[in-house]
Amino acid sequence: MDFDQCLSDSVPTLYEGNLSLVSSKPNIKELLVESACEHNKDKKGSCNAPKPGATTGGCALDGAQIALFPFADAAHLVHGPMSCVGGAWETRLTPTSWSGRDLTQTGFATDINNNDVVFGGEKKLAAAINHIVANYAPEAVFVYSTCVPAMTGDDIDAVCKQMSEKHGTPCVPVHAPGFVGAKNLGSRIAGEAVLRHLIGTKEPEYTTPFDINLIGEHNNTGELWRYRHLLEELGIRVLSTFSGDGRISEIRTAHRAKLNVIVCAKSLVSMTRKMQEQYGIPWISCSFYGKTDTSASILAIAEALGDADLIERTRALIAREEARLEEQLMPYRAIFAGKKAVLNTGGNKAWSIASALQDLGIEVVATSVRKSTEADKAKAREYLGENAILMTEPASQQAKVIDDTGAHLLLAGGRSLYTAIKKRIAFTDVNQEKKKSYGGYDGLLVLAEDLKNSLQNPVFELVERKAPWQK
Amino acid sequence: MAEVRRKSGKPLQVNPHKLSQPMGATLAFLGVDRCMPLMHGAQGCASFTKVMFTRHFCEPIALQTTAVNDVIAVLDGGDYSIVESIKNIRDKLIPELIGLYTTGLTETKGDDIRGVASKIDVPLVYVNTPDFKGGLESGWTLTTQALIDQLTAPGDRIDAQKLVLVPHVSMQPIEVEKLRELIEAFGFKVVAVPDLSSSLDNHLGEKQASLSSGGVTVAELEQLADAAFVITVGASVKPVGATLQAKNPAIQHRHFNHVSGLVGTDELVAWLLEVSGRDTLPAVVERWRKRLQDAMLDSHFSIGQTRFLLVAEPDHLAAMAASLREVGGKVTLAIATVDSPILTDIEADQVIVGDLEDAENMRDAYDMIIGNFHTEALAHRLEKKAVMRGFPNYEEIGGALKHDVLYEGGAYFLFEIANAAERMREAQVHREREQIKRQRIA
Ligand code: SF4
Repeated sequence: MDFDQCLSDSVPTLYEGNLSLVSSKPNIKELLVESACEHNKDKKGSCNAPKPGATTGGCALDGAQIALFPFADAAHLVHGPMSCVGGAWETRLTPTSWSGRDLTQTGFATDINNNDVVFGGEKKLAAAINHIVANYAPEAVFVYSTCVPAMTGDDIDAVCKQMSEKHGTPCVPVHAPGFVGAKNLGSRIAGEAVLRHLIGTKEPEYTTPFDINLIGEHNNTGELWRYRHLLEELGIRVLSTFSGDGRISEIRTAHRAKLNVIVCAKSLVSMTRKMQEQYGIPWISCSFYGKTDTSASILAIAEALGDADLIERTRALIAREEARLEEQLMPYRAIFAGKKAVLNTGGNKAWSIASALQDLGIEVVATSVRKSTEADKAKAREYLGENAILMTEPASQQAKVIDDTGAHLLLAGGRSLYTAIKKRIAFTDVNQEKKKSYGGYDGLLVLAEDLKNSLQNPVFELVERKAPWQK
Repeated sequence: MAEVRRKSGKPLQVNPHKLSQPMGATLAFLGVDRCMPLMHGAQGCASFTKVMFTRHFCEPIALQTTAVNDVIAVLDGGDYSIVESIKNIRDKLIPELIGLYTTGLTETKGDDIRGVASKIDVPLVYVNTPDFKGGLESGWTLTTQALIDQLTAPGDRIDAQKLVLVPHVSMQPIEVEKLRELIEAFGFKVVAVPDLSSSLDNHLGEKQASLSSGGVTVAELEQLADAAFVITVGASVKPVGATLQAKNPAIQHRHFNHVSGLVGTDELVAWLLEVSGRDTLPAVVERWRKRLQDAMLDSHFSIGQTRFLLVAEPDHLAAMAASLREVGGKVTLAIATVDSPILTDIEADQVIVGDLEDAENMRDAYDMIIGNFHTEALAHRLEKKAVMRGFPNYEEIGGALKHDVLYEGGAYFLFEIANAAERMREAQVHREREQIKRQRIA
């Protein structure tokens, strides 16, 4: 699950401009009109164009990399200057079981200079690919375009084609220069590139009736590994993932799956929809956050595969896991009893984390619906109940909400830490999940431990104490 | 003198440590009080930069982008996106200064930011920092020059007590503060430009700041020209001396390549004695000099048997290598992010402009690594030890308060390195013992 990708506030920006700038393949206009963007219904195409001087969030390149980086057996070559990669490589855990060198954690960049801008960077790009293939023997090379070479018109497609033929290693052009839009669009472009250049280029050694692809599961903190073994225990085979702990050789066979499971990534709906058109693979959308959602998701997969015996075994497994979890959660119950939390985070986290908190017996008295889609809002209301406060301006509202509700805990991004300190209540950085996994059944235990530590930490009371000599 | 290789000769960077010019510009603008750095480019460059410095400093970072998209990229010469940005920023808050700087995209487009800036009547400083040229150091220096060039009023009067301090980009906030305190101890009033010592020094602020909080003020920048002295620390900022002198030729410029180690600090202190007209050191300075001398003796045995790889910005390399050399540390390899005139003066056997792939290929040349957090994984692969210094450091907290320079910081630095080297050797001994045990059993 990559919640960055789930944030509905990073719905794509307008891309109606000069398509020739982005020399080729994906029809970006088409990607944008994709109905996954709910805002599109009323505002044709132009939802959330980035506002100059008031824009946060990464660019398309960022999104494309997040989507593809977890392929540890592929090289990720950024054709661009150091702004695009200097601070950005090796920033995610994205663990892998790949036994070769972990190329996710290896930064490659052409570091284009003045010369490349004036005379073109294609030769340099080709030489860079040669270097990578010779020294790192990747299963594929993803070549990411960036703003400057997209402007100067480097023909990345031609270079990739030529290099693929020369080396017999797929070189996949990813046209996601930052000026085409935000992260979500980049994620779609990445999906498009994989669909166009990799999926369907290889046959699996064998197939089973229960082969699935996990789409949008990036295993950023090992969350895939919290439930993959449960699927396997049921005889459900993960044929490929896009792209957590992924393998290029597996994604190339993804067209033979019986079911696509989108894990919390709306931006990849276009990809699965196209796979349905091209290969007849149905898809469902799942979340593995908290007990309730994890159980529901595993059951949904079994039901979608449509085998009565499988469904029955799944129910048994869920019952077993929930009972086990319940027992392990016992010591926490007393600590969390009667505790109220305010949640300030974006998109579908507004309800998915809420659901996990409720699983722990914590009452979620308010959540943020800033920039949430209508569906997310409805879901938040459904999860939280009638009395909960849906904050539209959480930054200015949350302090008062804490007062009004007597909340004990604030879960939010780092920027809200000060509110918690001022109110002297416990704080948990929701972005911790970038470091450790809260996914699956066992992730709930990790979340419980972190929340317990927050609630019992004296620092929030102490840090802003007045010095004895202050009046 | 080092053997220097100024060009990598490779068509790419593998495991790069180089950072971009706009990143350097961002830091410089963050050293100005109540400033909003505004990066003119597509949104990603600002986002990557913001995320990097937020994680490095564990502090919120004020930074905005003109969010150039494809339509603007084609149709707009910068007027629209810059003017709109400033309007949108000022809808919410009124910065003392807007720091406008370009990226590769807007330079390739050929936006005339100077022209746009001339039409805008809010306090603004502009600078061209394409990311296909230079690096972190040059972005910092160009911005510092632009601040002085565009804000400082020319003058001909001199305040004999006033001194402008220009640190290089790799000096941590606490180091700038300690350097300022040292100079102040000689009776000077010091203005640091830029000044991260009060903005990114990990202090608990009043509230979550949306602008930089702390740093040199715009008013101070306007009145720099009556300083008696400007001192520049680090070869990359040397040209800033002339920039300030252009405002008042009577200002005296004194340059130091670094202020690290016994000799480097002595040089500064000797100069301070001379220009302040004093004949005795402040007692605390004297005391720290003695502590450093003792630290040198205590650490020489460990450091003297260690071969180092340094990975950093050129000025940072020069400073660290000097400290290590003084106690016999063998800097066998120094890898710089970019070319710089200082490279030939770095006290290392070999200095190259390169990346961490180069470091990996030359693994036999060194035992211990000092570099940014990427060297942690490198050390792990090579079964060596790394000590974290430089940008970015996502592995550790408290980097802004790491003090390596002057007598005091020099002592801390030597202790930390010597201890790390000892632990590294102990671990090696343990490994060897385990091996022997296993062989015996087998
Ligand atoms: S916006 Fe463009 S230049 Fe900036 S990081 Fe993204 S791709 Fe690179």
